[in-house]
Amino acid sequence: MFVGGIGLILFFYISLSAGIYDVSLQQLIDAFLRRNVSENIDLVIFHFRLPRVILAGFVGLGLGIAGAVLQGITKNGLADPGILGINSGAGAAIVVFMFFFQGHVSSTSWLFTLTMPIYGLVGGLTAALLIYFISWEQGRLDPQRLLLTGIAAGAGFGAFTIFISLKMKAQDFEMATVWLSGSIYSANWLFVLAVIPWFLICVPVIMRRTYMLDLFRMSEESLISIGVSVEKEKSILLLSSIGLISACVSVAGSISFVGLMAPHMARLIVGNEHKNIVPVCGLIGMLLVIGSDFIARSVVAPAEIPVGIIIAIIGVPYFVYLLFKVRM
Amino acid sequence: MGVKRKLPYIILLSSPITIVSVMFLSVLSGSTVIHPVDVIEAFLSFDSDNVTHTIIMTSRVPRAVGAMLIGALLAMSGALMQGMTRNYLASPSIMGVSDGAAFVITLSVIFLPALTSLQMVMLSLVGSAIGTGVVFGIASLVRNGLSPVKMAIIGTIIGTFFSSVSAALATYFQVSQTMSFWYNARIHQMSPDLLWFTIPFAIVGILLALALANSVTILSLGEETAVGLGQRKGLIKALTMFSVVIMTGISVALIGKVGFVGLIVPHITRFFTGTDYRWVIPCSAVIGGIFLTLSDSLSLYINYPFETPIGVVTAMIGVPFFLYLIKTRGVGSHR
Repeated sequence: MFVGGIGLILFFYISLSAGIYDVSLQQLIDAFLRRNVSENIDLVIFHFRLPRVILAGFVGLGLGIAGAVLQGITKNGLADPGILGINSGAGAAIVVFMFFFQGHVSSTSWLFTLTMPIYGLVGGLTAALLIYFISWEQGRLDPQRLLLTGIAAGAGFGAFTIFISLKMKAQDFEMATVWLSGSIYSANWLFVLAVIPWFLICVPVIMRRTYMLDLFRMSEESLISIGVSVEKEKSILLLSSIGLISACVSVAGSISFVGLMAPHMARLIVGNEHKNIVPVCGLIGMLLVIGSDFIARSVVAPAEIPVGIIIAIIGVPYFVYLLFKVRM
Repeated sequence: MGVKRKLPYIILLSSPITIVSVMFLSVLSGSTVIHPVDVIEAFLSFDSDNVTHTIIMTSRVPRAVGAMLIGALLAMSGALMQGMTRNYLASPSIMGVSDGAAFVITLSVIFLPALTSLQMVMLSLVGSAIGTGVVFGIASLVRNGLSPVKMAIIGTIIGTFFSSVSAALATYFQVSQTMSFWYNARIHQMSPDLLWFTIPFAIVGILLALALANSVTILSLGEETAVGLGQRKGLIKALTMFSVVIMTGISVALIGKVGFVGLIVPHITRFFTGTDYRWVIPCSAVIGGIFLTLSDSLSLYINYPFETPIGVVTAMIGVPFFLYLIKTRGVGSHR
């Protein structure tokens, strides 16, 4: 936790200071303490970099926690919001929303930005329900079937999204594609504001139920016999994590693998209690996304590689490693 | 049973008529309205000054032939893979074949920009082999890796990796737009020259597939049976993969990534023919060709007057089917 905190501060500092326009530590401190105010530095720091870093942090936090919850509920170490198709469901709904409001949409409009996570939630829930319904077999959730269905649903929602986005006007289409590939490119304070309520609601709900995730390791029968209303608890946890995912997708598009990697790393570091795993997951997620976002915008500056791609390139080898190690 | 036994014959014997009529329909479809008489005239007495004739011969016909050929190749690849691995989810799009091809093409666009179309096709074949090799290699090293689910996951993930690296490279070297043309089905710009180049490869792949059909039937009965019947398993598997790589590789080289054809067509075919791959493979080719050609025509009208990428059309048909397979067959193995 402590090392992670230091790492976070370090990443935070590098992300804020490095770039095409280099800002020294002195200048950074000055800017925060409002000494020797310089308009240029203010613009770079407060207008561009700070909201972006904060947003990347939130996205990582949300996806990391959601990954821990999904892996806990499904008892499947390979579950991830992206692989399960929940991301694409949320993405599809948001693109549909952009489509119906085309022309009236701009990333700086209040109403649009603040309501986007809600549409994402609708899509994410639809995807989750569909996947849940198809994987539900004889009163239990088959983990293998769940992954397969997720992959298929992801492909389907993806195709649907392309279909809708092709019907859009050029300008909206551009916005939709940049955003779909998983990018924090267009971060602004409004986006940060839009995701905060979701975190304020969902994270505490999940944190209060981390002990449930530990209990889920036991068999359903023994859970019921000690008086746990399993389905209700699962639904609350699932709903909260989909809430987090939708908020993240609505501001950063579809980013896979964070929710997959973070829980495994967290288990390595803090053991098996979800009380510890969940927050550490959030922290690792933050580190991953802030770090990857920095790589994404610095490697080909002034152009950008979508952060989702950087994370996939890091994530896949890790996934293959997990395949060799984890039983399924 | 009597009717069922005759079905493969019916499919194969009627195939010339169905194929020609589906292709005829495809030639007529498009944003420019073309009269059937013009098509016949274009074939019988081609007039190079006649715009309609030119459109038919340089754009519509290659497209119809390409769709038919690629549908057939992808479906046969899928049938071979499903039979060989006894995995009802095995299919070219899941095995990372197309992503491997796209990856190598990205590299070549960046580092060898002066390539001819023929060289691109060759590289695409190399890429398919690499993609398949990596996915299959990992799948055979991981415990239970060849089971339907694991293989689907490994293929998808490796595919993601290849496409992510390609996308990152394309951004870095600023060839994104070229690549985006490549990845997304380019069926509307099927070039007759390229089509000619690929035909020898297609013939090799198809002949190999047909020659292997009997051995694949035996493999699909299970390893013990295959060994018991004295089959040289390793050689058969290697040749099958070779045939798959050729057939899928040229499909990707011609039109980019099209998913789900190789997955669903063999299932539809087995529904008609049963599990003898001597029937499944040729009938898959017929049904796959017709399926892709019809999907292509459909793609012209879904969002008229704009074309929808054919991959979107096949996914829209394929995903519900895929979910149905998972729901009804569960996660067990082949059949």
